[in-house]
Amino acid sequence: MTNYFAALAAVAAVAALGAAACSAAESPAAVKPVAAPAAKPAAAAVTHYVQAPSGSKLAFSFVQAGAENQGEFRQFATVLDYDEKNLAASSLQVIVQTGSFDTQDKDRNDTLAGPELLDPKQFPTARFIATSLSRGAKGIEAVGKLMLHGVTKGLRVPLTIKTTAVGMEISGEATIRRLDYGVGQGDWKTTEWVGDEVKLQYKVALTKVVR
Amino acid sequence: MTFRNTTRSWGALSKALHWLIVLLIINQWIIAERAEALTGFAKLKVLGYHKSFGMTILMLAIIRLVWRWMNPVPDLHAETKPWERMLAKISHVLLYGLIFAMPITGWLMSSAKTYSVSWFNLFAFPNLVGKNDGVYQLTHDLHHLLFAALVVVAALHIAGALKHHFIDRNDVLKRMLPFGGVK
Repeated sequence: MTNYFAALAAVAAVAALGAAACSAAESPAAVKPVAAPAAKPAAAAVTHYVQAPSGSKLAFSFVQAGAENQGEFRQFATVLDYDEKNLAASSLQVIVQTGSFDTQDKDRNDTLAGPELLDPKQFPTARFIATSLSRGAKGIEAVGKLMLHGVTKGLRVPLTIKTTAVGMEISGEATIRRLDYGVGQGDWKTTEWVGDEVKLQYKVALTKVVR
Repeated sequence: MTFRNTTRSWGALSKALHWLIVLLIINQWIIAERAEALTGFAKLKVLGYHKSFGMTILMLAIIRLVWRWMNPVPDLHAETKPWERMLAKISHVLLYGLIFAMPITGWLMSSAKTYSVSWFNLFAFPNLVGKNDGVYQLTHDLHHLLFAALVVVAALHIAGALKHHFIDRNDVLKRMLPFGGVK
């Protein structure tokens, strides 16, 4: 739990820095009399959302010996700045406690936590940071970078956005290749027994933060 | 040797299925013993083969049972005593039961532990039950217990076959041998 709160604090800190950077960037614009009226409503339209205490799920699945295996990360934190009319100004950040995963079996969990696979001792967090959203053929996508197992790679994460009573819910599915991130050393480099593709399925309940 | 069984002897398919299953069961035992000592990737791989061979045995057992229903079963000799007939019947029923029960308990324990069963990584069999520690423990223990039972019944089966051959001096053993010809 300590890790979880540490992660939340980290997210909050990142968000605060981001907000500070945004306002710093805006202030020179505010000096210009003409640009100011246009910039202010745009900034105000970005709504800040944080992950609700419950109702979120970050699942993953992979093929092991020809059959699909499922797991999930139980501890992760999400921050979203969203402006429906200005996706480029929107951003998404997710921090996952890699050691919080569960694949429903102790033996498999122990194996996956080992130094040849996910190795949460050495890489305790994974981060997805998207500095903008965009509208692609399949709908809205967060365009960002996934930092996992010490490797950073570009990743587009599709988002289905649904409005809820307290904010919104984002969900979707993305596929990554574990070997791209070095998850699988030694014997695990072969994809014959454990597939390279890892499907991520996410549903995040977000609470709107009024500032 | 005919393809189908006759009332005198086993046909080619029955013999092939009998001996193929014997070889696969011995192979299963060797693989399982090896897997016990392993961990991680090596264990996953070796047990992956064990499960694939196990499902092969299950499929062959189904073919074998269907084929048995579609064919005559060679008669025991007239001089066979009633207690011998009874013992043979019981051991055959048990052996058939066990070649089904072994893979099914294995499939159940894999399902309950969420380690799905596949056939040589080519396709996966559906899980019979969801994650369930109780079912896993029960079927795991049964899998081991039933194997011990299989060894005992198989020993009885072999002893019976040898008695027919060496003491009664009839062709009961010979008619199941791969190239043992009985018209």
